[in-house]
Amino acid sequence: MNAAAPSALIADDEEPMRDMLRKRLHECWPELRIVAEAANGQEAVELAGRHLPDIVFLDIRMPGLSGIEAARLLFNRCHIVFVTAYDQYAIEAFEQGALDYLLKPVGGERLKTTCARLKGRIGRQPDDIERQLGRLLAQGGAAQRRTYLHWIQAQVGNSLRMISTREILFFRADEKYTRVQTAQGEVLIRKTLKELADELDPDEFWRIHRSTLVRVDAIAHVTRDLRGRQMVKVRDFTEELEVSRGNTHLFQQM
Amino acid sequence: MKVAAGGTGAIGFLRELGETASTLWWQFFDWLAQVPFRQLVVTWVLALLLACTPVLLPKQALAFVLVSCGLKVLAGGKRKAEIEAREASAHAGIESMERRLLEAQMAALQAQVEPHFLFNTLALIGQLIETDPPQAARIHDHLIDYLRSTLPQMRARGGATLGRQIALSRSYLAIMQARMKARLAVSIDVPPELESASFPPMMLQILIENAIKHGLEPKIEGGRIDIRARTAGTVLEVEVQDDGVGFSHLAGDGVGLANIRERLKLMFGSRAELLIEAPPEGGCRACVRVPFAPDIFAKAAP
Repeated sequence: MNAAAPSALIADDEEPMRDMLRKRLHECWPELRIVAEAANGQEAVELAGRHLPDIVFLDIRMPGLSGIEAARLLFNRCHIVFVTAYDQYAIEAFEQGALDYLLKPVGGERLKTTCARLKGRIGRQPDDIERQLGRLLAQGGAAQRRTYLHWIQAQVGNSLRMISTREILFFRADEKYTRVQTAQGEVLIRKTLKELADELDPDEFWRIHRSTLVRVDAIAHVTRDLRGRQMVKVRDFTEELEVSRGNTHLFQQM
Repeated sequence: MKVAAGGTGAIGFLRELGETASTLWWQFFDWLAQVPFRQLVVTWVLALLLACTPVLLPKQALAFVLVSCGLKVLAGGKRKAEIEAREASAHAGIESMERRLLEAQMAALQAQVEPHFLFNTLALIGQLIETDPPQAARIHDHLIDYLRSTLPQMRARGGATLGRQIALSRSYLAIMQARMKARLAVSIDVPPELESASFPPMMLQILIENAIKHGLEPKIEGGRIDIRARTAGTVLEVEVQDDGVGFSHLAGDGVGLANIRERLKLMFGSRAELLIEAPPEGGCRACVRVPFAPDIFAKAAP
């Protein structure tokens, strides 16, 4: 890339970690110039654009953009080395792929090896690591792909209460509002039952009636009353909930 | 319309009457099933006296004696066994609750030390040993305090007061401040008289760690965390508020919060709660409310 001394950028949200890496790099590779230091992913991308370093050391867990996301924006412009203290999945992925990585605390033989490898590569086009990065990102995001509503926001007095869906016994349509029942009490929200049914995890909440959405884990038992209707008894609550005719299949004997 | 309403009213009344009658009958039957014969004979005599002396109705009294004796012999044994079984299962319920509480406590203690936190802190100590040895020693001490409170095998005894919980949280906060530097500001506002109040272990820590991990660490400029405790009558409120990135509605309710909720329920039933709020100014506020009994020895101590 350039005949002058090689340059590098360090990105880590924790200042002591940046100091340490700078110091160690200086010991291992005195010619390497640290042209900039970034405290988050966005800054790393900006500074890399301005200084065009040969190498970028990226911490993985950073606010704003993560190290992996930042790498995706930088990979064909500079050589990338990931730095992490402990990130089980990422390290596994690095070992499988050809991605360069360092473990914190950075030092000793490991850093020397990395520096030697980098020296050999400087001046060459950086490896094409896009596919590996894409896979890493997909892995990280897989858990969140289909996301359901896990918190219900309700105005209680003049504060906005966050109610975890795990606390909720059932939702019941109540004219213009929807009643949210927990063991502690009830609150009203404006979201309709239809909207809730679409946004909540269908395995967590069952629609047992046109106007009732019950949390499966909260069901104590189901009985039949004198008129043959199925009634759901919810734990920590006295009132029983009716199951409409169309939904009795939910509670069939096995 | 009116007729229909009246009709359902009458049916409702009749059903209620039926339910009351059946409840009374089962109560009587339960008594009959469990009562020893000797006591039953005494009751017969009393009933006979009651029935016979004022109006002399020997036939009815005889009928009662015969019916109750017959019932006791024929169906009483089964009913008695049923009642005993129910009592035994209620007892088992209490035992299983105690076991669940213990399990939840263990889970709270074990789930805490996050490897990422541990390795980052060790890396920091390693770095400070070279640049600032006294600070390295301080962080090292904080880490030891934190681990001692967190790892179950080393759990210090008698940790269940608010003061102790605050002290343990201070170690964690000191470590995080050394790592995040100016990105983390902390304020703790706990009146000294509340330090002796009992408060379950590992709840404050979980809330503080959540605030930093989900609220402040992802925020580029960082932020502040406020820890407050106060009493309102017989309720002790301990609150952790941050001005971080706030809530994602889709983020799962973490293991930590679920664990707090489970333990509060097992320990205090409906007398305790965990409230999570999104303040209008942003960030997140988590508040644990537990029953508060003023410590009568607090003032006597110097």
